[in-house]
Amino acid sequence: MTLETTINDQLFTMHSSGALFWNEKNTLLIADVHLGKVTHFRKNGFAIPNDALHKNFEKLIDVVDFFKASTILFLGDLFHSTKNSEWDLFIEWSKQCTCELVLIAGNHDIIDAKNYESNGIEVVDYIRMDDFLLTHHPTEVEGMFNFSGHIHPGIVLRGLGRGHLKLPCFFQRKNQMILPAFGAFTGLGIMKLQEGDVIFAVTNEEVVQIKMSEK
Amino acid sequence: MTQKVLIDIGKSFFQRQNWNPFPFQLETWKAFLQGKNGLLHAPTGSGKTFALWIPIVLNYIRKNKNYKEKAPPGLKAIWITPLRALSIEIKQAAEKMILDLELPLTVGIRTGDTSASERAKQKTKMPDLLITTPESLQLLLATKGYEKIFKNCEAIVIDEWHELLGTKRGVQMELALSRLKTIVPKLQVWGISATIGNLAQAQEVLFGVNQNPAETVLVSANINKKIRVESILPEKMETYPYRGHMGLHLLDQVAEIIRGSKTTLVFTNVRSACELWFQNLLEKYPEFAGEMAMHHGSISRETRHWVENAIRNEELKVVVCTSSLDLGVDFAPVESIVQVGSPKGVARFLQRAGRSGHQPGKESRVYFLATYAMELIEASALRKAVKLGLVEDRVPYLNSYDVLIQYLNTLAVSDGFYPDEIYKEVKSTFCFQHITREDWQWILNFLVYGSQSLQAYDEFKKVELDEDGLMIIRSRRTAMHHRMQIGTIVGDASMSVKFLSGGYIGSIEESFASRLQPGDTFIFGGKRLQLFAIKNMQVLVQKAPAGSKSKVVSWSGGRMSFSAQMSELLRQEIHLANQPEELSVELKALEVIFKRQRKESIIPNADEFLIETFKTREGYHAVFYPFEGRFVHEAMASVLAYRMSLLSPITFSLAFNDYGFELLSDQEFSIEVLLDNNLLSTSYIHADLQQSLNATEMARRKFRDIAVIAGLVFTGMPGKAVKTKHLQSGTQLLFEVFKDYEPDNLLLQQAYSETFEHQLEEGRLLLALERIAKQKIVVKECLKPTPFSFPIITDRLREKLSSETLAERIKKMTASYLK
Repeated sequence: MTLETTINDQLFTMHSSGALFWNEKNTLLIADVHLGKVTHFRKNGFAIPNDALHKNFEKLIDVVDFFKASTILFLGDLFHSTKNSEWDLFIEWSKQCTCELVLIAGNHDIIDAKNYESNGIEVVDYIRMDDFLLTHHPTEVEGMFNFSGHIHPGIVLRGLGRGHLKLPCFFQRKNQMILPAFGAFTGLGIMKLQEGDVIFAVTNEEVVQIKMSEK
Repeated sequence: MTQKVLIDIGKSFFQRQNWNPFPFQLETWKAFLQGKNGLLHAPTGSGKTFALWIPIVLNYIRKNKNYKEKAPPGLKAIWITPLRALSIEIKQAAEKMILDLELPLTVGIRTGDTSASERAKQKTKMPDLLITTPESLQLLLATKGYEKIFKNCEAIVIDEWHELLGTKRGVQMELALSRLKTIVPKLQVWGISATIGNLAQAQEVLFGVNQNPAETVLVSANINKKIRVESILPEKMETYPYRGHMGLHLLDQVAEIIRGSKTTLVFTNVRSACELWFQNLLEKYPEFAGEMAMHHGSISRETRHWVENAIRNEELKVVVCTSSLDLGVDFAPVESIVQVGSPKGVARFLQRAGRSGHQPGKESRVYFLATYAMELIEASALRKAVKLGLVEDRVPYLNSYDVLIQYLNTLAVSDGFYPDEIYKEVKSTFCFQHITREDWQWILNFLVYGSQSLQAYDEFKKVELDEDGLMIIRSRRTAMHHRMQIGTIVGDASMSVKFLSGGYIGSIEESFASRLQPGDTFIFGGKRLQLFAIKNMQVLVQKAPAGSKSKVVSWSGGRMSFSAQMSELLRQEIHLANQPEELSVELKALEVIFKRQRKESIIPNADEFLIETFKTREGYHAVFYPFEGRFVHEAMASVLAYRMSLLSPITFSLAFNDYGFELLSDQEFSIEVLLDNNLLSTSYIHADLQQSLNATEMARRKFRDIAVIAGLVFTGMPGKAVKTKHLQSGTQLLFEVFKDYEPDNLLLQQAYSETFEHQLEEGRLLLALERIAKQKIVVKECLKPTPFSFPIITDRLREKLSSETLAERIKKMTASYLK
């Protein structure tokens, strides 16, 4: 269900939900939940199954429970679009959640920050902690390790017999790691790989490091 | 006016053109004037247009005493054509007749090509005779007060009905007819169909289940056209490629044919081949420049119109084209047809062959160009099929809920509808004759609640339910979205290609555009273009500098499969290869390859079923040869692989073509085990098909179209990509969401049933397995890929099937990077 990795002497646990747990800080990093997306579609006449939206909250509850984290840092695109009825469900969840909640605003986060702040959720553009930089868009800064989202990284695996498989992944390159999208109704951006990239694929049950080969 | 007087008016028109009406034309006039509905069975270029335009006009004359003075306002007849390119021709025919008979009738065209201002004009004053497409007819049903438009319509003709029959456009047509027949109870309905295997069924589908068959007629033109089929053969067969290329190695022979005919049409199966042939012909034979053109669906319509006119005016020596020129339009100057690659079906081949020698009594000449050696067998089989008149069935769709949902939304955006009234109409169609009350209620719930019940906090909004039971869409935005998405032909999202300086060239699929980098050169519309930028769903290009290397635009065209009839013929041809005294030219030419095949394996006889095994760098291959067409092979391959995988954990990659299929694995597997366990048996076949992962994969692909047709996906507004970005999602993602959260959704179910009926052709699979059970199985362990296997194993479009866990599979796989 999880896989650990050490970055700059800190211990991080990757979870098969797509969340990343920073052990020393007792903090969960979660990217691209896209809450409200199902409802946004439904409001516009696209009948996406209603049950899919509850899955996001179930996943959030499960993963908080699993790590017993004290803080959740959302790496952007927490909400897909403008406020809708899922906002109420989110506020309901946030009140029951014992964690401190912080949102690093992403491009989809167009809901006014005041709405978050009045519910005790901090909204920031980025976070610097020690030599780590947390952002929504992947960002390179000299001397910092960057955690980000936005891309919804995915990977295509190939094997003998010409099999292939498409999976979401934690994508690590030099001084950055991009988290997979946490939301249940989100797509994948297939990554173009370079030598030295480190890939941790996410299945429903596991996080698996992927073998790399030259094309 | 008596019928005889009327018919004499028709005859007099013919006399003034120096024509004589054919018996089938007279028969159609009479039946129509007697008020009958019917299906006219007549090929393109036989005079079918006048078989129906004439009685429509005669009927007008009969009903209007002062028929030469001002005609009463309103639409009088509708002519449906599946291809808008044909509309001009049909209009010209109608106008010729109206002019000659000095009638005050107007003829109008309403298709996707009709300008907005013209459409608006038509709305206030409809032409007397309207030529339109199934989609544009639906759009008329989506306008407010549409009943008024059709109120005085007397007749509707559905041209090229065979083209619509086996498609969802046919379903769309059935639904529209069911509505029109209520608005105008006396509406006369006529279809026109070319030869297909199931003409009687075509008639049944056209008229629906409430029509008394005695009131409908089938008129047959009985025109036997002479068709000469010839294969283009190279000097030396040794150099023939084993696997499908573009057939360009026969360029010189084709140039010879072009030189020898007034006009030649070179048909390719896909647009990329069309581009390539055009480019190569031009490069090697610059003398054709100015007399050659290209025609395919992505080229701008101005260019296409220009090409069509230029053919008629004998200005062109050669046109390289795709199915976009399959239908209609009479091109008298065309003398020769070249078919590049397998046409996959007799009907399509006949249709294309019929594009030449259009004048009555003239012979149609068609040259078959096999792109790889084995394809030559098809030429031999096709010639037989043409001779025997063996043409495929067009299997009509049943229970296409996606089309029904789109149609109901269409009615909801116009005037709204009352479900009970519409239910009766829908139930009267062939497609929905078995729809249950429960399914109907499911669909209504889906439209109104977006699910099966009203839920708290839910904000779903599409169709509103009024207190008196009227279902209507009131949101202007939703209505606009729906109108933009009416249609059942789903392609990849396309982007328009424009010069930086402004000129529009055509459209290419987004998937191709996304692979291009600025500065890349590609060939499109016969031009070498360099990408400047992609902006707002537009591909901005400039002329490429001379000498730059270019990519050819690729399109993901549908893959077709051999029909049962064609497969049978193909098997006969293969078996003939073992009887040297009966060889056709093609089989003789193939002798070099047959020799190699015999050396490395065998050529199976009628009572033998061949399986070859060999090992390559890619893994362990087993190739099976049922010769049943690729759809049946796809099904058979996945069932076999599934059954094998039950015995021990293994992952297979599957490939198939019209001759056979391949199981490929990284593990060694035994054919003996397969035979000992009787894995080719027909028992539990449906369950096994369903279980094979492949069915899910295929259903996923079917779901793509279904989701678009049913309006679950917003395909976006041209040039307004940004505004609607929050409403875009991939259909793959949708499929997963439905599979996980709403598995009993009718649209998801439909994806599976379409997979089994239309894709996997379960019925044919059963018959094939029964046939194989009677054959002797011959297993050949080969040292390397055989000539028969080569085209199959090199196919890049593959399916996979696995019984290993995901983690096990991942462990064996790698992600690759570019150095």
